[in-house]
Amino acid sequence: MAKSDDTCILQGPLVFGNVVIGMCGIALTAECIFFVSDPHGLYPLLEATENDDIYAAAWIGIFVGFALFALSILGIVGVIKSNRTLLLVYIILMLITYAFEMASCITAATHRDFLTPNLFLKQMLERYQKSETVNNNDKWMTEGVTKTWDKLMLQNQCCGVHGPSDWQEYMSAFRITHSDADFPWPHNCCVMDAQGSPVNLDGCKLGVPGYYNSNGCYDAISGPMNTHAWGVAWFGFAILCWTFCVLFGTMFYWSRIEY
Amino acid sequence: AASAISSLVTDNSSKPLDSTFQQTSGGQLGPYKAALFNVPNCASPPKLADVGDVNKVSDVLKQYLFRVGDDGTCLYDPNFLAVCNPPLAPDTTYRFKYVLLDSTEGIMKDQTLWSDPIKTRKVKLPLKIDTWPGRRSGDMIVITSILSVLVFLLLAGFLASVSSAVMGSEDSSAETRSVSQTTQQSEPRPQLSSE
Repeated sequence: MAKSDDTCILQGPLVFGNVVIGMCGIALTAECIFFVSDPHGLYPLLEATENDDIYAAAWIGIFVGFALFALSILGIVGVIKSNRTLLLVYIILMLITYAFEMASCITAATHRDFLTPNLFLKQMLERYQKSETVNNNDKWMTEGVTKTWDKLMLQNQCCGVHGPSDWQEYMSAFRITHSDADFPWPHNCCVMDAQGSPVNLDGCKLGVPGYYNSNGCYDAISGPMNTHAWGVAWFGFAILCWTFCVLFGTMFYWSRIEY
Repeated sequence: AASAISSLVTDNSSKPLDSTFQQTSGGQLGPYKAALFNVPNCASPPKLADVGDVNKVSDVLKQYLFRVGDDGTCLYDPNFLAVCNPPLAPDTTYRFKYVLLDSTEGIMKDQTLWSDPIKTRKVKLPLKIDTWPGRRSGDMIVITSILSVLVFLLLAGFLASVSSAVMGSEDSSAETRSVSQTTQQSEPRPQLSSE
């Protein structure tokens, strides 16, 4: 198969482009596996809102990353051999992978917008320590939310979404079983001693500064979720911009190869 | 109706009324006695600043604070004999006063004025919380629009290169057909001359 001068010059950049795509693919897979593993234990909160699509975006990212790596090897082989069939297969499969990664980026970015403080507030009030669950699904979600909030309040020394006043301003499932006099807010909002019991329960109930956690947990929730969503969306976007250039060059190269 | 309710806490002979929470329907029919405690020690009281000290905070709170509505169980306990101080009702206005009693004679020595009205909170329902996220963030708009344009350009480029490849191969196949016809015509002549 004869090659014109155009194609000789393009070979080097295309191989380099594919090497970068391969490395980025592996990086994307690793990043998305990290996010899916949920190191901060916040997945039960998303599962209960039935809005866990940023995790779907990360799952797609895992497979897309691996596909990019495999296809980049195919691309390097096809460019070096100047084989029209290999390159056509490469281009078609890359277009499909491109579409999937685009879906992942847009999903992650869009669904991040839904994770507002009010969403978590409503869910916390309706599910935390809810005593009467309707079915197994409800029970599973309630247990997830309760355990996650207990852990959040203890580890981050915070209370409620905006602050302990959330428990006072709103009716909640917690309030139905725990009276306002004994539990103005859950006891996990109290400053704990080394044994895990409140330092001074009366001080905590009365709201004496230093005996209860007065800041809200929203920052502890939104921080990791933002990292997750923006990590998937923007890194994927960067890969797609680079892949666009490489694919365009490959299509041009392919059309210039003569039989 | 509010003005018709007596707000006196003693009878004519300065003996304090012993009305309970239940008797006054939680304070609706008249004042009720919420608690009875000894006069605190004012000779050497705990310092208010000591509230930060873990060891002293209980004493400080006991000295300076009385919590109305502290006992959630005394209403339902038939054996409860002391003064019942049950929780207050939500979205209701209350007033409070302190009364100084001589315990030997059992008569009132002094009392504070009724406090300013204090209204308890009305809770909001979580159902009413609006979880609509509002405007789309700028990041999402940038990502969606730029990626859509790139995909469109890629598909256009793919179609262009495929169509140029198809048209290129049509030209080359027409050339090979015309070449093969000319070679067939020239072949028969050498055979005639040899015979």
